[in-house]
Formats: sequence, C-alpha cells, structure tokens
Amino acid sequence: MNVTFPPLLALLLFPGGLFLLVSGMVFEYIDRKLIARFQNRVGPRWFQPLADFVKLLAKEEVIPTGTNRILFVALPIVALTAALTAALSVPLFGFKPVFSYPADLIATLYLLSTMTLCIGLAGANTEDRFSIVGATRALTQLFSYEAPFLLALLGPAIVLGTWNIGEINQSATNTLWFIVSQPIGFLVALIGLMGKLELPPFDAPEAETEIVAGALTEYSGRGYALFRIGRDVELVIGLTLISAFFLGGFTTPLDFLWKTLLLLLVTAALQSLFARLRIDQTVGLWWKIGAILVLVQLLLIILGTQLSPLVSRIFGG
Amino acid sequence: MDNKKIETFVVPIGPQHPALKEPGHFEFTVDGEIVTDATARLGFVHRGMEKGVEDRTWVQGLYLMERVCGICSHVHAMAFALGAEKLANVQAPPRAQAIRELVGELERIHSHMLWLGVAAHEGGFDTLFMLSWRDRETVMDLLELVSGNRVNYSANVLGGVKIDISAAQKDEILKGMDFLEERSRHYMKVVTEDETFLGRTRKIGVMAYEDARVLGAIGPTARASGVARDVRVESPYAGYVDFPVNIQLSDAGDLEARFVVRINELFESYRVIREILEKLPPGDLAARMPRRIPEGETISRVEAPRGELLYFMKSNGTDKPERIKVRTPSLCNWASVLQTAIGHKLADMPMILAGIDPCFSCNDRMVTIKTPANPDVWDWETLRQFGIEYYK
Amino acid sequence: MTIGSMLGDIVKSFFKKPATVKYPFVKQETPENFRGKLIYDPEKCSGCQLCIKDCPTGAIELLVLDKVNKRFVMRYNLDKCTYCAQCVVNCRFNCLKMSEEQWELASTTKEPFEVYYGREEDVKLLLEQAALGEPEEPCKEPG
Repeated sequence: MNVTFPPLLALLLFPGGLFLLVSGMVFEYIDRKLIARFQNRVGPRWFQPLADFVKLLAKEEVIPTGTNRILFVALPIVALTAALTAALSVPLFGFKPVFSYPADLIATLYLLSTMTLCIGLAGANTEDRFSIVGATRALTQLFSYEAPFLLALLGPAIVLGTWNIGEINQSATNTLWFIVSQPIGFLVALIGLMGKLELPPFDAPEAETEIVAGALTEYSGRGYALFRIGRDVELVIGLTLISAFFLGGFTTPLDFLWKTLLLLLVTAALQSLFARLRIDQTVGLWWKIGAILVLVQLLLIILGTQLSPLVSRIFGG
Repeated sequence: MDNKKIETFVVPIGPQHPALKEPGHFEFTVDGEIVTDATARLGFVHRGMEKGVEDRTWVQGLYLMERVCGICSHVHAMAFALGAEKLANVQAPPRAQAIRELVGELERIHSHMLWLGVAAHEGGFDTLFMLSWRDRETVMDLLELVSGNRVNYSANVLGGVKIDISAAQKDEILKGMDFLEERSRHYMKVVTEDETFLGRTRKIGVMAYEDARVLGAIGPTARASGVARDVRVESPYAGYVDFPVNIQLSDAGDLEARFVVRINELFESYRVIREILEKLPPGDLAARMPRRIPEGETISRVEAPRGELLYFMKSNGTDKPERIKVRTPSLCNWASVLQTAIGHKLADMPMILAGIDPCFSCNDRMVTIKTPANPDVWDWETLRQFGIEYYK
Repeated sequence: MTIGSMLGDIVKSFFKKPATVKYPFVKQETPENFRGKLIYDPEKCSGCQLCIKDCPTGAIELLVLDKVNKRFVMRYNLDKCTYCAQCVVNCRFNCLKMSEEQWELASTTKEPFEVYYGREEDVKLLLEQAALGEPEEPCKEPG
C-alpha cells in the first residue's frame, strides 16, 4: 500500500519502533506455540514473550569483571538499533518501505548481520569459557551462511533488474511468484534465514546443552532482554524479506499477514524436524551444498534471462 | 616471539550445567574445538546411605536402599531383598520372583525411554525428546496401576512382594506393551535412519572391544562394544531362571550402537513381560522372614538398567545390618567416557556423557580421605571435625 | 538415510490434542491400589504395634489410652511418611490402608501434617492433655 508515514511516527511508533517490537513478540509467541503443538505439548500463553521481556528488564544487570564495561553495555543497544534500522527499508506490514534508497538490499542485509557481529563481540568480550566458544561459533556460522543467503536473495533482484527492496516488492506483485521459478533459491534463502537467526538445527552458537548460552552466557537483565527482542525483530524482518521476494510481494497488510505466517509455519516445522548440527557440519553443509545450489540457481537464472526472449517468441508468437 | 608456554583452555562442565541432570564436575581441556584431556570429579550427591542403613533394621533398610536412585529404585530394593533372603536361607515363592522380574522389566523400559529422550535432548533433537517422554507416560501409568506409585514402587518386602497382578491389570499391561512396541519400532527407525541424528551419533565415541574389557565397562555401554556382560544371562536371579532374556549385542561401539542396543533391550522386555503375564505361577506372595538375620556375608548381583549392580551385605545376627556396600554400575563406566572423549569435538561431549546413561546419585558412596596424620578409618567425630576445618 | 524422519509425528501431533493433562483443572484418575494418605481404623486394632516397629521413618505412633478396653489413638505424621505401605503389610487385622483419593497433601503450614486417628472422645482427651502443657516425648530415631 502506498501510505506515506511522517518520519518520526514511522521511526518510533508505526510501522517501525514500538509496533515492530510488539509484532516481534507476537511472532515469537506464534513460533513457540507452533513448535509446542508439533511436539504434542500445550505451549506458552499469548503474553509469555511480553512477560519474559518485562521480567528480564526488572532483573539486576550483572557486569562481570574482566570485561570492557562500555562495550558490554553498548553492544545490545547497537544490535537492536541495527535491527530496527534495517526495518525501515523493508516493506513492513504491507506498506511501502519508509526509507528507500537505491541498492538498499545490500545495506539492509549488512545491518541484519550487525546483530550477529555484536553477539560475537559480546562473547569475546568476557573471560568466560562458554562465551568465547560461543562467540567463535557464532562468527564461524556467520562466515558460512552469509554468501549463499545473499546470493539466493539476489536471484529475484537480477531477474527484476533492481536492487531496491521497495521496487522488488512492487514488481514481484505483477510477475510469477519466484518460489515457482526459483525454488532452489527459495530453499537456500529460507534455510539461510534459519542460520542467521540461530534457530535449530543451526543453534550451535547457542547450544544449551553444550555451552550453556553461548556468547550470551554472561548477559542478564536489560542487555539480555535487548538481545532477545532484537532477535525477534530480525525474525519479522527476515520473514518479510523472503515472502516479499519469493511469495509475490505485498499489496495490503492482509497479504503480508498470511504470507509471513505461512512461512513461519514452515520454519517452525523445519525447527522441530532435525537434530542440532555441529559447527563443523554447519560449515560443511553451507560451503558444499549451499554454495553449489545457489550457484546452480544463478546459472539457471542467467540462462533463463538469455533464453526467455527466444521462448516467448516460440510460445507467444 | 616468547610463546613457549602453551595455554591450556579448560571448559568446565558442571556441577551446574544444562547438560547434566545431576551435579558432577568434568573438566575438558580443549584446543579450539578438539578435546585433548578430560578429568572427572564426583561426590556431590553423597548422602551417607551406607552409614544410615547400619542404624536401621533390615526392613527399614529396604526402603532406604530403594531411594538410592529414582530411576533404578526397584533393582536396589530387589538386590537388598535377595541378599537378605540368601543370608536368612529363605526362598521367596515363585509367584513373587516372577512379579519381581515383571516390575524390574517395566522399570527397565521406563529407564531406557527416559534415556532415549535425554540423549536426544543433549543432541539438540527436542522433538524426539518430547515424544519419547510422552510415550514413557504409558509405562509410568502401568507402574502406578500395578504398584501404587510412579517412582519408588516399594514392590518388594523381605521374603517376596507385596503387590499382586489381577486380570484387569494384566489386560492393561498387555495393551500398554502393544502401544509401546509400535512406538519403539518407530524410534528405532528414527535413530538408525535420520540423517542429522546419525551425523551426531555414527562413529562418535567409539570404544573398541579391547578397551571396553580393560576399562571395565558394564551394561549396555559394554554390550554396544561387543562385550557380552549381562547378569541376567550369566547368573540368573529372581524370575530370570524361569523366564530368561536374550543378550543384545552390537559390534560398532559408537553412540549409535548404544542407542540400538538399548532399543533392542526394550523389545526383549516387551517379549518377556508378555511371557510372564501368560504363565504367571500361582501361589503366595511372600515367605516368612525372621526378624533377626543370621550371621554371614553375601554378595547380591542384579542387572540394573545401567549395568551390573552389586551389593555386599554382612550381618551380625541382630536385626540391623552390619555393613552394606553398594557398587552401582555408573561408577564403572566413567573411565570409558574419559578415555573416549579425547580427540572428539567439544560439541560431542554431552552426548558422550549421556551415552553411558550416568546416574550420579547412584554413584556417590564412601569417600576415603587419606592423610599422613590419620591413615586409618575415621569415626564420625573425626570426619565431622575434618569437614569443619576444610570449609573454614 | 532419510531427512526429517519425524515428519509424520509432527504432522499428527499438530492435529491431535496436546498430551498434557491440564492439572489442576483436569485431574487424572488414580488406580485402586494407589498409595496415598494412610487411614487407620481404631476399632479393629489390637495394639500389637508391629506397624510402628517397621516404619522406616517413625511416621506413626500409637498413643495407648486404655490397653484393656482397646482405646488407641494413632498419631500420623504426613510429612515423615514415605508412603511405602510396610505398615499395611504388617497389620494382621486390616486396620490400615492407603487412600487412593487423598494424595494432594501439600500445605503451607505445618499443622495439617499431624493427623490423629481414633474415636472422637479419645482424640479430644489427648488434645486437651497436650494443651495443658504436658511435656511431649520427643520423637525417637527409628530403630
């Protein structure tokens, strides 16, 4: 929809800012409820993520010795800020992106990666063994899925001839859904999103049974709450991006809702199906299978764009 | 560069850690992600039960020994009762022995399903964890139906059992067995065929046959490496004389083999339970036991779900035992963990630890502190004083 | 080699009711020989005290008001009992049984944990004696 919001409103209240935080919590609730239902359990109640957030804010923040205080306190804030900024260029809730500029696809993806970088730095900052191992794993995972993820998202961008998310969204509503014409790219993009968000089976950086909480072990209280809500916001943004690109763009908020919820269902199912992959298996998986698949996809796209005038002449003429 | 000293990076797991259900301390020296050394320290759950049983009569001691472990409570009580009966020269009636075996096998089912869920959780496979624990509720309900409680069944008395199996209970148990057998077949398929799970279990934690023999591994951990040690087959006790079980072995010795052996034992248990219910011998439930057990020493060995459980019992003719020493199976398997851990990645540690099915509360028995000043056995006051000084 | 071998499970679970029993709104039925709270019938008791001899924790005590006329009051400590039912096995006159309905015994104070079983007038007499400040015998260690 082509509604223009006044900048301050968009930044603080709607569709960015507060509304995005609340919708992040709603998406987290739906995700947890779906996983619980897949495991034949009841799952949390609707206010659980909000209750978690409020409880964490009320807890004392313990800054361990041996860390750089400024970095310790600032990193969660930087992570959340990056996620919220990335939201401004994305067609949230079916509306036109608030702040659109040429080639904002690359910038948005880098802003989304800032969160993982912050987690890695946060882990390396402390002297705790578990955090250091977790930080190493987080950064290793970052290096492995970034390239295939970006290339997979480039597929629709190449076909539509633009690198601006708003325009891709606009044009995707008029062309055939890319999930049909680029299924491999869709698969890599969806699984890449799970890697970025450290959802199971790619939750080795945060493996609860091995290294307690990974890089975030020493965080409690406000810092931990900000990291968690940043991750929820990234979930919303990531799902928006993928459904905008591959499921035919959004025109109305209702469109947005059912497409992202459908993707959330698929993501929740993928989360419950697999055992956790070790970090070396993750890297192996991405660099062997992921990269090859996405290169094959790009090859097919290039062939397709070159051959399509030929094809349309045969079938159209 | 003056880098002569190589820094060792030690990752402590426990005593408080999400991977451990009970406290125990392990230190893994890692180099990146590869583990180069492992040490263990136990003793956090020592409760002084061996001392406590010396103050209680034989009957009271039975219930205390039952509470050494929550998952294998029945085999502890059974070992104690069998030992006391041997000392008193009393033979429990055949119906009682058969019911003891029945409850023991039900407990084995419960323990193996619990272990399946916990090991899956250590590997990050939460769905298998939740669903196998959901199916475990069936066997817990059956145990509640038969004995009156879901844990600590208190089925044994000295001289026999105190519970009986009625026809209605028999039908319920058979129905439960059918359901569980179907689910176990499904879990066997998942464990042996799922690609991601095999990536975590195949060729991980391999213990060769020779190592298993030398390190003294027992129970399903040893049987997964091909070592045929099973007390139910070597020296049958209670009902196992009339209703024997077949030993389940595997050659691979890795984590997957331990899963396969335990699920195969589940199938054996289903078969034996059906056989017992079919041919339950009639008769009394308990024989009369004297209050004062005659003097003597005996060893009582039973097969707990984790391996061989050994009770050394010494009586001095009164109604209180003189000395009871408990050696639980988990104690024997620690050496195998520390040996196989070297060379693996840190991410495999929780699964290797869980692979032996550790039961920390069973483990902690009397700790001997030898100091040059006091090399003899200590009495209560000396120990108490030592504790006060140590923690000052 | 399959990927996602639990797919059938999760699809089925999604459409089934959750396996959780929503206690306390829904209660599961307890079977017949469930070992709940101990119940004592003083009418049949002969005062042999075999039950008390074998209790592992000393949870039951028999207060004898009148041995010849068989007037007994049993003091039962819920918090010490391990619900093992050894006393039930020992009793030859079927005075003791374990309830299958009363098992929700948690409480925030200590008073409900001390239960007196007996004829009403006997219990009243005992409680009056206790209120008068007669010193109670401390609980002996088992054995």
